Amino acid sequence: MAIITGLSHLANPLATAVQLETSSSHLDGIPKDLEDWVRFESSKLLQAAGILLRLPQELIAQSIIILCRYWIGADGGSMLDHDPKDAAAAALYMTAKPSPHPVSVRQVFVVFSYLTSRSGFDYKMANEGDVTNWHISGVDYEAARSRLYAIEAHILQVLGLATHVALPFTLCINYLQTLDVFKASRREGEAVAKLAFQHLNTALLSPQLLYLTHQPTALATAAIYLAAREVKVKLPETSWWEVFDVDREELGFLAVAMRSVEGFAREERLKWEGRRVPMTIEGLREEIERRRTREVGGAR
Amino acid sequence: MPSRWADTEEDAVEEERRREEKEAKKRAKAEKQRQAEEEAQRVKAAQRNGIEGERDGDGRAAKRRRLSPDTATDTPPVENEASRLLRFHTPSWQPCRSIERFHLLNHIEEGSYGFVSRAREESTGEIVAVKKLKIDPVRDGGFPVTALREIQCLNAAHHRHIVNLREVVTGERGQGKRDVYLVMEFLEHDLQTLQDEMDEPFMPSEIKTLMLQLASAVEFLHDHWILHRDLKTSNILMNNRGEIKLADFGMARFCGDPPPNNLTQLVVTLWYRSPELLLGTKTYDAAIDMWSLGCIFGELLSKKPLLQGKNEVDQLSKIFELCGIPSSDAWPEFRSLPNARTLRLPSQSIKAAQGSIVRSKFPILTNAGASLLDNLLSLNPAHRPSAKEVLEDAYFRENPRPKPTAMFPTFPSKAGQEKRRRKQTPNAPVRGEAPNLGEIDYSSIFKGRELEEKGGGFALKVG
Repeated sequence: MAIITGLSHLANPLATAVQLETSSSHLDGIPKDLEDWVRFESSKLLQAAGILLRLPQELIAQSIIILCRYWIGADGGSMLDHDPKDAAAAALYMTAKPSPHPVSVRQVFVVFSYLTSRSGFDYKMANEGDVTNWHISGVDYEAARSRLYAIEAHILQVLGLATHVALPFTLCINYLQTLDVFKASRREGEAVAKLAFQHLNTALLSPQLLYLTHQPTALATAAIYLAAREVKVKLPETSWWEVFDVDREELGFLAVAMRSVEGFAREERLKWEGRRVPMTIEGLREEIERRRTREVGGAR
Repeated sequence: MPSRWADTEEDAVEEERRREEKEAKKRAKAEKQRQAEEEAQRVKAAQRNGIEGERDGDGRAAKRRRLSPDTATDTPPVENEASRLLRFHTPSWQPCRSIERFHLLNHIEEGSYGFVSRAREESTGEIVAVKKLKIDPVRDGGFPVTALREIQCLNAAHHRHIVNLREVVTGERGQGKRDVYLVMEFLEHDLQTLQDEMDEPFMPSEIKTLMLQLASAVEFLHDHWILHRDLKTSNILMNNRGEIKLADFGMARFCGDPPPNNLTQLVVTLWYRSPELLLGTKTYDAAIDMWSLGCIFGELLSKKPLLQGKNEVDQLSKIFELCGIPSSDAWPEFRSLPNARTLRLPSQSIKAAQGSIVRSKFPILTNAGASLLDNLLSLNPAHRPSAKEVLEDAYFRENPRPKPTAMFPTFPSKAGQEKRRRKQTPNAPVRGEAPNLGEIDYSSIFKGRELEEKGGGFALKVG
């Protein structure tokens, strides 16, 4: 059994069992499900902001993963330490900084205040949006900027500067080529690739933190498995996933987990109908308080 | 519950209480975890004892990582399938530890964006080098991007001849911000200080060993899509066993192929900066590191920096004096570089001024050595050899052979004992406006060169 050591463009550092078991937010009194909703909302927010800023999907994915890493574990950051929307903004700013597509603090804030000021947002809006005409006042900006720098420093400290993120997208194409999917029929092959990418992007929003618990190789393989079934493209009848070093058990788990995100999103829409998931400390406190009074009322 | 609007001592007390409570919870959790681990250890030990007698398990780890820390005894699954899957070694992350675990010993050097000190790790007694980053959020836009890149590059570059970044630690929180320190392995010398202290230059066999080690490090970096962008002798560390390690990745960055077209030209310390950078190119590749390598090669041979320009203009003129002037045949893209349009160069008719005088400047060098140096110092970046090609160069295979590192002489260490003198050498460039060279007249730099050439005891006819 060969072991790959060190960080590479293929491997990620993964969360430990202890880190997954508890979180700083939980210790601060945020219920588990509320924490999941906030993380879900923040990830969606990052995705939309990234699209508005015309950033490549790799960068957006990296920032979502960084934010998820930041919020887990007892030593992680708490959602009651900083407004979740500011934490998301800091994660995006920090990830873009050393990349070929840096964004300015001002750009990040304009986009985030635009997205959070609406009653809701979707990716279509983000796709068609135009950032160039929006502004942010000087005083707001100064305060927001120093908040963002403080959170950035905290994220880096919590992660021990482990900002390395490996992504499954290129692996996914590589695997599809290995499986000769494009050779059989180019049109079908492209359909599989597109669907597989969609599964990988969906998995970024998973409450099961798939990118923090599984290596990119496994994620790519599971996405291909699902996509091929949906397009009805025949893959080898043998255990082809073992070629990519994924065993049946992990593949099955990931396939189920990736498909369950849709149900989670639907549940969110039902549960939060007409309201927005709180993205500030104050909003979170109010939500916790509301739940408590409701509980007391129910017990009476 | 106190009013949300009250901003009183009570609030502060409440806040403090909350923090303490959380700390207590964290401690309890850690304790529970420790006990669980001990339990697991005991169980494992017991199992090992059992297995030795019966041999019914093979002790392999569970296939899927356990994601809940249960204390129950989980026997390793007995696998009968033949498939052997590749497993990644999965590191995790933890918050930065504290600088207090290190005892600072002495100051080594102050660079453009950090202080380097020698320190001892209290728990192990090991000597390390600690680099304190200069952090100014308002100036740098938060955490400095150079530091982010340095850490990312060092984390990706584990190599025998690249300095090892052990960890990143933070200082105590003071005025809302923390200091950040890089903890690296300590080496006794850097090549620049060492050469200053030496009476004689390195021997040819020693130079070969140094160049081979250096080229292997650069090859590794370029292979991993990293440009160092500040290769110079003061960034090359050496221990007392003749091993060198590349350090200071403050200018380094990941760079794809084709390279992005918005790279800054403000990289590489002036004396080691390639002509295309001086001429203001915005897109460049690994060849800029190869130019620096050429400058280092020349410096090792003569024990002093090869091209000591006083400023950008002077640096270019020194380069043209040594390597000849660029012709449109040898370097077609030259004229389209931003700063090249306003250059006035000697007319093409002065034949003697065309070629490079690298060979005649290093008469002691063999043919192979001279052509390697000449190639590294090609004006056209496309003509410079890659690091891989350098490693395979004939120069390293001819006599004298590279000296084994174990045979290197040892030197007293400056960094180990005392504060270092600041050298009169330029620093790496800082971010900002790229200089515009303006109109420069180089047409007279080769005046007198013909006389010079003829003045020697013999004259080499080039071409």
